[in-house]
Amino acid sequence: MARGLELLLSAVLLAGLYAMMAYGLGLIYGVLRIVNLNHGGMIMVGAYLGWYLHERAGIDPYLSLPIAAVVGFATGVVIYGGLVRYLPRGPAGGVQSLLLLFGVWLVLRNVAYLQFTGNDQAIRTDYSTKAVVVLGSALSLNRLIVFALAALLLVALDLLLTRTYLGKAIRAVAQNADSCRVAGIDVERIYTFTFGFGTALATMAGLLLGTLFPFNPTFGAGELLKSFVIVVLGGLGSVLGTAVAALILAIVEVFAILLLPAYLTGAVGFVLLVLVLIFRPGGLFGQRVLG
Amino acid sequence: MSTWRQFIPEWLSPAVLAVFVAAAAVLHALPYVVALSPYDHNQLTLAFLFIATALAWNWIGGFAGQISFGHAAMFGVGGFAAARALQMQVAPFWVPWLLGGLVAGAYGLAWGHPTLRLRGPYFSIATIGVGEATRLVLTYWQGFTGGASGLALPINAQLKYSLYWYALYFLALVAIASYAIRNSRLGLGLLSIKSDVEAAADVGVPVVFCQDLVLFLSGAVVGVAGGIYASYFSFIEPSDMFGFDRSISFVLMAVIGGVGTVFGPGLGAVVFVLLRQFLIASYPQLYLGLYGLLLVLVVLFEPLGISGLIFRVARRLRPHRGAT
Repeated sequence: MARGLELLLSAVLLAGLYAMMAYGLGLIYGVLRIVNLNHGGMIMVGAYLGWYLHERAGIDPYLSLPIAAVVGFATGVVIYGGLVRYLPRGPAGGVQSLLLLFGVWLVLRNVAYLQFTGNDQAIRTDYSTKAVVVLGSALSLNRLIVFALAALLLVALDLLLTRTYLGKAIRAVAQNADSCRVAGIDVERIYTFTFGFGTALATMAGLLLGTLFPFNPTFGAGELLKSFVIVVLGGLGSVLGTAVAALILAIVEVFAILLLPAYLTGAVGFVLLVLVLIFRPGGLFGQRVLG
Repeated sequence: MSTWRQFIPEWLSPAVLAVFVAAAAVLHALPYVVALSPYDHNQLTLAFLFIATALAWNWIGGFAGQISFGHAAMFGVGGFAAARALQMQVAPFWVPWLLGGLVAGAYGLAWGHPTLRLRGPYFSIATIGVGEATRLVLTYWQGFTGGASGLALPINAQLKYSLYWYALYFLALVAIASYAIRNSRLGLGLLSIKSDVEAAADVGVPVVFCQDLVLFLSGAVVGVAGGIYASYFSFIEPSDMFGFDRSISFVLMAVIGGVGTVFGPGLGAVVFVLLRQFLIASYPQLYLGLYGLLLVLVVLFEPLGISGLIFRVARRLRPHRGAT
């Protein structure tokens, strides 16, 4: 029983990070109708960024989050303005942006490989192995901090989307871009901002993931898949839906470790995806992603 | 009305048929006429296989517009099923290939039936999951795949040499199938699904059946190619068969050649094989990034790849007739 509670707690802590990671993908899809296949690439970039700043400049990984946000945002703006903007949208164009962003991902991987080799790296701080006791079970201090930061960022994002003019404009463009043009909203600018925000979220999530798990240049493929499962399950445009979906995924994953051999846990995300597609293709909350 | 015209179906253009027969005859005779070095023999055989896989990938990725980043799963599953059957040595060596193809097609159907209701980008991400999950599970399933050390296959040098022709005939069949699918009701159905899936369903196209069938066929062909590929090297191991690079290579061949065109992916495969040889020899640590760059450039500047360039030239030469 105590073991079960411990696992549940660790699932909740993981879910915070998953929700934030997935929100970046969902935001870009909701507004631009483009699946950012480079999401995994930016998660990998975030992890390496945190590692590099910690190793070379001695900056605490959690303090370098703002740097990751700025770098991620700038990269997103460049990718949108330099590449994605020129592609057609809609059903026929989806494939093109997909292939293009996949190409960008491959390039980023290769750059990381050349720069940092293919070896596994990890961000190790003085407090990496510290634990605190919560409700009678020992929890890693790192995981608690990551959860708090991810939750804080999600709340901040929600406030941005619901309480500011920019957020309202972003939501309006997601609903109907043509009407927004008529109403005098600079839709192109909103697209640029949204792509930047989504990419920044992925980069920050990558940095936080890097403090918990080892990574190498191929890091991010599994995270992309998990983000995708969460977006399908949780629907678009709802922070709550995303959070609940992230919790479901985290619980399934954490308990799968109990039942399955370790190498099979990598396949859990995919199995969950197929189950979701068969039984709840419309997701649980918010705007349907499919059909 | 000439009489010979009655003997070929009306959707088959005589020009295409002539080029096809000529190409097959020349390639068939090539090793008898010219003394091919083992290296060239090797490259041609592999090129036949990769052209076939690129064409088959294009059935689902191009005709139906469902880009798969997970075809390495079928390549590997087909390869390993064939390898296990070959090791038993109870049937002629081509029976295991067919068996591998059937297993791979069935495997494709198993994951494809639920995921094909996803359209476009979402289907593609699901296929990344399929590829990764298959790779993980089969790499650790030592009883079937032999784990990281792989399996050795009983293929002698003479049979290995003759695989050139088997690969060639296999390619010929796949090329005929590509042309037939494109011009059949199935091909039209896929085209309508690609353009607008709801409209297609409304006018009575069996959306689920068409997509399932074409994924099965595509998976089966790629699976057979996996079996021949493994036979050619007399050896098979999971990281080579299931690697992410493998899946990317199928996508890239089709994109370079022209996604959705009938024979473009074949051209793309030829370019890809040559390019890969050059890159591995000269810039082994850059090839992944260069593939990525190539994808970006093709998508930005010529979405139909080499076929798009050919169409442009053709249009310039015959301005009064539409080339496409």
